[in-house]
Amino acid sequence: MSGSDAGGGAPTSTVDMCIARVRVLGFRNLVAQELELRDGLTLLWGPNGAGKTNVLEAVCLALSGHSCRTRNERETIAFDQTMARVEVEVRRGAEPHQLLWSLNRAGERRHLVDGKDAGTEQLGLRPALAIFLPDRLALVKGPPAGRRAHLDRFVAALWPGRAEARRRYGRALAQRNALLGRVRAGAASGDSLDAWEEELASAGVELALCRREAVAALAPEFGSAAAELGVAEDAELRHEPRSDASRPEQLAAELRACRERDLARGHTTHGPHLDELAISLGGRSVRRFGSQGEQRTALLALLFAERRALLEARQTPPLLLLDDVMSELDPDRRALLAGRLAEGGGQALLTATEPEQLDCPSAAIAVRRGSVCWSPPAALPSPGGPARASVAA
Amino acid sequence: MYPGPIERLISELARLPGIGQRTAQRLAFHILRADDAEALGLADAIQEVKEKVGLCEVCFNLADEPRCRICQDERRDRSLICVVEEPSDVIPIERTGEYRGLYHVLGGALSPIDGIDPDDLKIAELVRRVSDGTVNEVVLATNPTTTGEATALHIAELLRDRVTITRLASGLPVGADLEHADEVTLGRALSGRQSVPGPH
Ligand SMILES: Nc1ncnc2c1ncn2[C@@H]1O[C@H](COP(=O)(O)OP(=O)(O)O)[C@@H](O)[C@H]1O
Ligand SMILES: [Mg+2]
Ligand SMILES: [Zn+2]
Repeated sequence: MSGSDAGGGAPTSTVDMCIARVRVLGFRNLVAQELELRDGLTLLWGPNGAGKTNVLEAVCLALSGHSCRTRNERETIAFDQTMARVEVEVRRGAEPHQLLWSLNRAGERRHLVDGKDAGTEQLGLRPALAIFLPDRLALVKGPPAGRRAHLDRFVAALWPGRAEARRRYGRALAQRNALLGRVRAGAASGDSLDAWEEELASAGVELALCRREAVAALAPEFGSAAAELGVAEDAELRHEPRSDASRPEQLAAELRACRERDLARGHTTHGPHLDELAISLGGRSVRRFGSQGEQRTALLALLFAERRALLEARQTPPLLLLDDVMSELDPDRRALLAGRLAEGGGQALLTATEPEQLDCPSAAIAVRRGSVCWSPPAALPSPGGPARASVAA
Repeated sequence: MYPGPIERLISELARLPGIGQRTAQRLAFHILRADDAEALGLADAIQEVKEKVGLCEVCFNLADEPRCRICQDERRDRSLICVVEEPSDVIPIERTGEYRGLYHVLGGALSPIDGIDPDDLKIAELVRRVSDGTVNEVVLATNPTTTGEATALHIAELLRDRVTITRLASGLPVGADLEHADEVTLGRALSGRQSVPGPH
């Protein structure tokens, strides 16, 4: 189980995937309704508080099982309801697949793909997601843990066969930490520390390799996307691993060398769980020194880089959920963004307060007080028929 | 809701893995309707299994005598020991028909999170078995999970230099249990087992 199983890098799917339908029930301020979507760019527009971001969040939950907005998913249950439920119909080529996510006030949660519990096996049936939310700026300016998690999700999207690497490392780390604690408390001997360190090292080297290769795939695209978005200085994305070990024996030896200190602290102080994904502009850390605008641009450039890399590796672009990206971009950049999004096909859902903020969406949907309705301004070209939305009785 | 004895039967049945309240009720009423011989046959079987089945004194597999059938079988290759986590892991390996050695059942896998250390498993017993000189090879067939891998690594370290140590070849789905692996995959894993590399 070394890096040699990089076979996960082979394209696993060259079939087009898109979201055909979204159905929500009891979800935040959205009325019970069904929304039909089509390929290309769909603009969701409406005043603040209308429910645009809620639509993106609903899609994200059904696809990934996690909210892109909150850790406390119970918040999504509409104030006057006992259960929130989102169904998404995905078309993979011609075959439809049903995704379902629901949660009730008792905390009972379901996340199903075609009626079965969603697991890594059916990752191929769920489109990869790339999400931009203003709240997600934390990704750029927050602590490294968020960037590590993000990078590992990208690894899983790029190479589904390597999706286990992060979890495997996490399990081994939790076990070594538990053992350190037990040894420190005198509840166990340190006899099996060697074994746990070997297992942790084997998982750690694999994870670090995934990250290194993912960043290598992203870095050039990140630089060019940032330049296109108007960043004058060199934009750089770098994996800064805590350990440079490339073989499990090396990392195991490093862990052994830290054992004394780790026993004193009761946790593991070395390894890939301390890696950083460094983002810098002109050699300065965007996290520490970037302006709000630079941080937004960096995040957007990261998403574009991910989209390009995914397009290249899997021929299927991720579904992009872009919340409120237009407001701070000038018209040139907006046009550029629209062009970028159209590249390679695929689907994107964007939100904006005004319909004019995006020139040529494939469809525009107005959102008003929790209802979505297709808006037919004559200005919108609509080849192949409009996207429709219907409000359930 | 029901008379006391029925409630008791339902709640005992509901404690079984995979049996919910509704199924427990259905089973309880089935037992109630069944004729005496059938129902008491079940009770008797439970009693017998608890009284007569214990662990083999050599390999810790399930046994209804001091030694299990496999340990008693003269045709088995005594120079080969296959180490598994649970008695239920013996069955799929036997079904492949490819393995002719003996077993050693650890009774679980290392898991500090659950407070399971080497002392809680039959590891010292394995080391003792191996040191009598008749054993040439130990096949580590713990599950390909985090805990199973660490357990295999720990045992490999203890037995290194004494015997040849092999690990079931990969091909088993990572994270899967032996118990649920199919015969063909398991057979392939057995015949393709690999020697565990020496010290770092
Ligand atoms: N659990 C909930 N039940 C009902 N309404 C909610 C719930 N959570 C949030 N809301 C409402 O949703 C609205 C915000 O929707 P949002 O999608 O963020 O708007 P925007 O269109 O600006 O993106 C707010 O009016 C808020 O009160
Ligand atoms: Mg919003
Ligand atoms: Zn036996």
